[in-house]
Amino acid sequence: MFLKHIDLTTALRPAYLPDEDLLFVQDNVGLYEGKYKLPNHQNGQVYLTSHRICYVDKAEPRKYSVALDLKDVERFEFYGGFLKSSAKITLVPKSTKRVSLQPRSPGLAASPSRSSTSSPAQHQDGPPRVSPVKPPPTSTATWVCTICSFSNPVPSNFDPTTATVHTPLAPCLACGIKPTLTHVLKATISNAASRQPGSPALQSPLPVRPRPATDVSLGPDQTRDPSPRNSDPDASFQCPRCTFLNHPSLLSCEMCGGPLISHDLPAELAPQARTHTESPGPVLNALSPVPFRIESPDSIKLSFRGGGEKIFYERLKSSMSQRKWLLQSAPPIPKASRPTSDAHLNSPTTTGPVTTSSTSTAVVRPKLGGIAGLEHHSQAMRKNNELVIGTAFEDLEALMASAKEIVALAETFARQVKGASGTSTASENALLADSLSQLGLIATKDIVGSSSSAGGSDSLYLSELSRTLAEFLTDDRRGVLKKAGGIMSLVDLWAVFNRARGGVELVSPADFDKAAQLWEKLGLPVRLRTFKSGVKVVQSQDRTDETTMKALLGWLRDLHKSPPEREVPWDWSRFGRGVTARDAAERFGWSIGVAEEELEMAEERGILCREEGIEGLKFWENFIDTGEGKGYKAPPTEPDIIEVLTEAGFL
Amino acid sequence: MSTPPPPINQPSSSPTPFSFPPEYSFPPFFTRQTNLTTHHAQLIKWASLVLSYCRYHRIFKLSLSGNGTTTTSERDTTELFFNRKINRRLSLPDIREVIDFLRKDNRAEYVTSSSSFSSTNTSATGMDGTPAAAGGGGGGDIVWIYWRTPEEWAALVESWVDATGQRGSVLTVYELVEGDGTRGTEFHGLDQELLLKALNVLVKRGKAQVFGQEDSLGVKFF
Repeated sequence: MFLKHIDLTTALRPAYLPDEDLLFVQDNVGLYEGKYKLPNHQNGQVYLTSHRICYVDKAEPRKYSVALDLKDVERFEFYGGFLKSSAKITLVPKSTKRVSLQPRSPGLAASPSRSSTSSPAQHQDGPPRVSPVKPPPTSTATWVCTICSFSNPVPSNFDPTTATVHTPLAPCLACGIKPTLTHVLKATISNAASRQPGSPALQSPLPVRPRPATDVSLGPDQTRDPSPRNSDPDASFQCPRCTFLNHPSLLSCEMCGGPLISHDLPAELAPQARTHTESPGPVLNALSPVPFRIESPDSIKLSFRGGGEKIFYERLKSSMSQRKWLLQSAPPIPKASRPTSDAHLNSPTTTGPVTTSSTSTAVVRPKLGGIAGLEHHSQAMRKNNELVIGTAFEDLEALMASAKEIVALAETFARQVKGASGTSTASENALLADSLSQLGLIATKDIVGSSSSAGGSDSLYLSELSRTLAEFLTDDRRGVLKKAGGIMSLVDLWAVFNRARGGVELVSPADFDKAAQLWEKLGLPVRLRTFKSGVKVVQSQDRTDETTMKALLGWLRDLHKSPPEREVPWDWSRFGRGVTARDAAERFGWSIGVAEEELEMAEERGILCREEGIEGLKFWENFIDTGEGKGYKAPPTEPDIIEVLTEAGFL
Repeated sequence: MSTPPPPINQPSSSPTPFSFPPEYSFPPFFTRQTNLTTHHAQLIKWASLVLSYCRYHRIFKLSLSGNGTTTTSERDTTELFFNRKINRRLSLPDIREVIDFLRKDNRAEYVTSSSSFSSTNTSATGMDGTPAAAGGGGGGDIVWIYWRTPEEWAALVESWVDATGQRGSVLTVYELVEGDGTRGTEFHGLDQELLLKALNVLVKRGKAQVFGQEDSLGVKFF
């Protein structure tokens, strides 16, 4: 079990480690542990980062969000999905105790098998759980005695592939009559074929595939010789379409190209029922009470119900080959310089010689000591700086000289990342990831996966963008909202946000608007507000109209106490004075536009009234609508306005 | 219609000035409010101010442009819509809105050039707040302010007739307005045109009959 609970940011996204880069996001993903669905982890977003795979549950993100470190992953496999079975990626954890001796593919293990029902698809699915410590689950096959009809268990050492007429067979437990070999063989095979739960008796890669849950529930007493289980290299799988016997590790028929069906599928289609009947306890509870089950490191499967598995797989592959987590302990300077320099080897616009020297110095440095070492160190630093600055200017010049070339360069980067061509992409990837992380904002259309449902990919992108925005706004280091007095117009935010992106992956106004609309739905701590004029503003969730009005009113009340700067003809101690949007903007640190809107909002709510005069539009405390009787025929003789206000709850 | 407040039978040239409500010195009071609720409250306050002002000064016809009134007292009513102290003035469209508000309540009526007013004309000029057509000779600019409606005036006259036992007798309109017999009653000094409106109410009810010429109108109460 190598899932760990993770912390989420305010925007309900995983909190990233330093240097961690988001590579891909896909929604509508479910988790399996081994063969079984993990309860409460069936619909969420999966974030692939350079270090981890994080699952954030949709329904209860705080409670059921988990992550697994890529460094704990031994290998990962891809299953393309079939019919109703979604595409899956299996992640096999590193065994903490010993390295698995089990061959990866069952087809590699030598042992003759005549099974023609072995499923090559199984190969995608199961092998991770084959562990040397655990013998595969045994047969619960039975043969029915022809004499007394008693159901005898097939002996555990009985192997239909090797059994001959001379194989000793146990007599019937009830009547003591020996069965014929063919009878037992038939029984075993039919058992295997019907695939009753927990009866993988046939020595084919398919049924014998051990499943952790069965391991747990069945216990060791039903052990069975594992050797014959692993099928021979000649084991073949009959294509259901053309009947050609294919090698079991093939996914599609060599002759006709048709998909080779896994016999495992029926079980896949109804996995939930199985979970509960076969092994209700262990799987369900494995999550919290037993965080580490070293003995049987279960594979984790990501089920991509909404598509996107291919990109996820590619990115996972590249991040697994990058092993960025190894860099965490690396000294900072080489770490900083290496990706850049390596990149230069492959990038068309750079020069080679500097690279080798800088990397070599980085390597040599630790060996030196004393003053020479210090000198060497500083020299390496200088070189490194030189390189960084040089490339920076180079880029600038190149940009000025030929934008075309830069575009081509960017395209090659993109191609290398996407294609995952394997050779020497790691450094480019690192460079690209670095530049992305420097932007600080990394939800791009490129990163999020596509959803198969109509318009789904867009919505995922938007929700990610929405979360990114919320994080951007609430980030204390930036203090975007705070600087703007807790409220800023959407247009301003859009400008600030795109500026922060540094001109890369700019967000279109339409997407931005849609993402902002999502805040409320996603329960994020920021709020989009539309004033009656149509101006949209952004503010934190806790800031409501009521608090704003309270602040405004409190301010206006204060004006009753202090005389205005100039002589005013009216009774200022009674009415205070009018304020303009400018005054409010100065007072609360808002922008003028926002101040206007806020004042008008307060007017709309009836706590302010307006005065249009030669000095412009001023807002006053509302002494007009004091809430007294609606009939003017009997006007209140001397309405104590303050009193009425108090009654109305304004004071 | 609620019963009118107790008669404030003060001479038109009262020594004690009209006491304006506190809102009168509140600058925003002179700006049309955009908030509907506030605007409604503003209209109510203005309407009540206009009514009480007119009642106080016994103004029956109000000139909206503030050029004085055509009532018996040549009082300057500009102060009603123009607070000199705080230098705020209610604009003419806004005044019309107030008048329209009163008209809806039968507390005001535009004075047409002829005494037989046409309601279509008044509503046309009033509703959109545009200045009245100039050809009307003041029509649309002068308003009846019914701080007491013709019906109420009629009731007053009728009860006075009852009280003084003049049922069946013939009185001239001049007598009713200026005569010594009505001194002390509220309708003493009433605008003649307005009194005729009130008497017409009685005529319709069959309680009175008006006869005679323009200058010498007589009325008989039954």
